[in-house]
Amino acid sequence: MTAMGGYVAMTRAEFRLFRREPFSIVFVLAFPLMMMMLLSAVFGNDQADAQDVENGMLVWRGVTPTDYYTAASVAVIIAALGLMTLPINLAGYRERGILRRLRASSVSVWILVSAQLTLALVTFVAGALVMGVVAWLAYDAMVPQDVIGVFVALVFGTAAFGALGLLLAAVVRSSRSAQGIGLLLFFAMWLISGTAPPRAVLPSGLSDLGGVLPLAPLVTALQDPWFGFGWSATDLAFLTGYAFAAGVPALWLFRRD
Amino acid sequence: MATVITVDHLRKVYGRTVAVDDLSFSVERGEIFGILGPNGAGKTTTVECVQGLRTADGGTVRVLGLDPTTQAAELRQRVGSQLQDSALPGRLRVGESLELFAAFARHPVDSEQLITRWRLQEQRDQAFDSLSGGQRQRLFIALAFVNSPELVFLDELTQGLDPQARRATWDLIREIREGGTTVVLVTHFMDEAEQLCDRIAVVDDGKVVAIDTPQGLVDGLGMQSVVRFTSPEPDLGWLEQLEVVESVSRRADAVEVRGNGPVLALVASKLVARGIVPLDLRVERPTVEDAFLNLTGRRIRG
Repeated sequence: MTAMGGYVAMTRAEFRLFRREPFSIVFVLAFPLMMMMLLSAVFGNDQADAQDVENGMLVWRGVTPTDYYTAASVAVIIAALGLMTLPINLAGYRERGILRRLRASSVSVWILVSAQLTLALVTFVAGALVMGVVAWLAYDAMVPQDVIGVFVALVFGTAAFGALGLLLAAVVRSSRSAQGIGLLLFFAMWLISGTAPPRAVLPSGLSDLGGVLPLAPLVTALQDPWFGFGWSATDLAFLTGYAFAAGVPALWLFRRD
Repeated sequence: MATVITVDHLRKVYGRTVAVDDLSFSVERGEIFGILGPNGAGKTTTVECVQGLRTADGGTVRVLGLDPTTQAAELRQRVGSQLQDSALPGRLRVGESLELFAAFARHPVDSEQLITRWRLQEQRDQAFDSLSGGQRQRLFIALAFVNSPELVFLDELTQGLDPQARRATWDLIREIREGGTTVVLVTHFMDEAEQLCDRIAVVDDGKVVAIDTPQGLVDGLGMQSVVRFTSPEPDLGWLEQLEVVESVSRRADAVEVRGNGPVLALVASKLVARGIVPLDLRVERPTVEDAFLNLTGRRIRG
């Protein structure tokens, strides 16, 4: 049972390291929560019944701004984990020779990745719970209407962003460049994917660009079941596409390394 | 004795640079085998290929009967390795590191035992980032032994260790060999190779230029031993009659005897037999360093 015992030991080590240097909390917990609260405050929660928004744009997809941003911010947590936490950690491990050290002692990179994903998952659940509870208590936000649908969207989103994170870690040479590129991608996506201003108010060019990046599909895939609009097959398919397009080369690069 | 490593015509190329070129050697069970060479000679690349951390571009490698490229997982359970330029997560503590690596070993060694043996007791709860160079080195050596290996690779074993710690480490390596573990030592320190190794492969420019015991390398030089002492005795010319002695010269009371073989022992016994007992009788023998410079320097200059 070396593999299982190894996985447990590695995961425990990763949790210890996280506890000692909880750097990623900033982006997976504080940032999405703060943005959800700020954006809700900015756009107010009383003016909508969004169905009645005067220009008829249905800016908030027919729900209140708080409902809208609670669901969207859960997607932001996944993006932060995939675009920043995972690649920064893995690239740092590679750069410092930790991966080589582990590999020489029978620790495969997959055990390390599994441990990191486990840690990411737990941080995600904690972040999403905090978000949900705050939104629910403070703003009486909508709870997910279709829990299974939301769960499925989360799984697809995790696969897509996990694969992107691996690919990023595989192509960059250092932890610093992972930080730079990760931050850039994260903020670019955050601004045009309906997680900051709703996509309905974006100029069409930006909105279209956002639509082909992975965060916007995740937001819709998550919001649709959350608001009871059903599942969004197109967006789930999009996320699957990203998972394979990024995951296959990432696996190949890591194996070769 | 059984052969544990066979390297046959190994070749490794990085882009246009040929790091290892047609390199062959074999290592017997239970010996301390040294790979000695200047920086950039291809030593590290060679042991990385042997451990399956890199894939060779040519030649064959067998370690404990296994192919390191296709049977790496099995191999890594049976060999230990201390790598150059590696690291651990900065906040991971010494004790935790040993426990973590032990979790992947089929036959783990008790981490307390390793902590004691490698004198890490006081660093047990210290994070990797806060360790000194020597402490890190000791931790890496300890990690190399965490899976009760039959064979260990030590790459620049005593890098960063102070002279005392170096001696202590050498003693521990000898002790480990007594326990039956085969040791492959990669080094550019001549004294280390001479002190520890049963056999040495001198590597230069990606090739093996000589393989022999330290003594064999030195003898191969054909360099003379020089015995020196001071004595007021006016006539010492009779020393030249000794078969091993080639020449005797003196400047005032300082006498210099040159020759091949056991010059010191024979000169000493003859002197004592004639009642001459110099206080400062000493020998200067060629060292592995001389052999090394001879083998590699000539090539570099030539």
